[in-house]
Amino acid sequence: MSTAPTTVYESTVTAVGAQVTAFLEHGILIFFADEAPPELHDISVLHRATVADDGPRPGDTVHLGAATLEVLAVGEVVRDNLLNLGHLDLKADGLTEAKLPGDVCVPKGEIALLAVGDSFRITRPASTDTGQD
Amino acid sequence: MSEYKSVVVTKGRGGWGGPLTITPTDERPLVASITGGGIHPVAQRIADLTGGEVVDGFRSSAPFDKLAVAVIDCGGTARVGVYPMKKVMTVDVHATSPAGPLAQFITEQLFVSGVKPEDVTET
Repeated sequence: MSTAPTTVYESTVTAVGAQVTAFLEHGILIFFADEAPPELHDISVLHRATVADDGPRPGDTVHLGAATLEVLAVGEVVRDNLLNLGHLDLKADGLTEAKLPGDVCVPKGEIALLAVGDSFRITRPASTDTGQD
Repeated sequence: MSEYKSVVVTKGRGGWGGPLTITPTDERPLVASITGGGIHPVAQRIADLTGGEVVDGFRSSAPFDKLAVAVIDCGGTARVGVYPMKKVMTVDVHATSPAGPLAQFITEQLFVSGVKPEDVTET
């Protein structure tokens, strides 16, 4: 059995909206797939996915370029939003239960600002994958 | 010249805001579904009852100033604020309440949530 983590989502940043840093000051990072309506581009990190197998679960790791964040909690509409729209709301609120249905909660602290060409990935530890597939 | 009708959209179970009266006009004819998986049944029903033109916001252009209403499936942070910020009437099919950095723009006059097709009624 492999001990390597499984990549459930992998994407490359194609644009960073002008208002993204303002949201980061609130501990929020918003993603949308790059075909999202232009009305949403200002507030979003746009990206193009190459792997879109699953949404995040608690215990997974979100990779923003070289930075990593542990997933603490996930709201009930997160998976649909990510797989349908490439949409994710990352919140550095340290909560272990998502306050809003679209929230992906990670530890309090600074979230790295992404740049065009950076990777955005979600990996799952091998041990939680038993019984899958 | 187009003839448009009005609908009233009331909040669903656990929802917030509204009721909103939505009437497309020649200037703002679009009922935009900014949702995953194509046009949402709530957007389709609003368009069917009002005579507005339903569009999938992820496939075709839906600029703010052409929208009679934006129907979203937002989990509470981004889309719930972006459309009200531009004074566009906004219907969330999920039962969200004002939150996030854009919460100040989300008012009962512009936003209603938890909406199902049966919460859209003719006036």
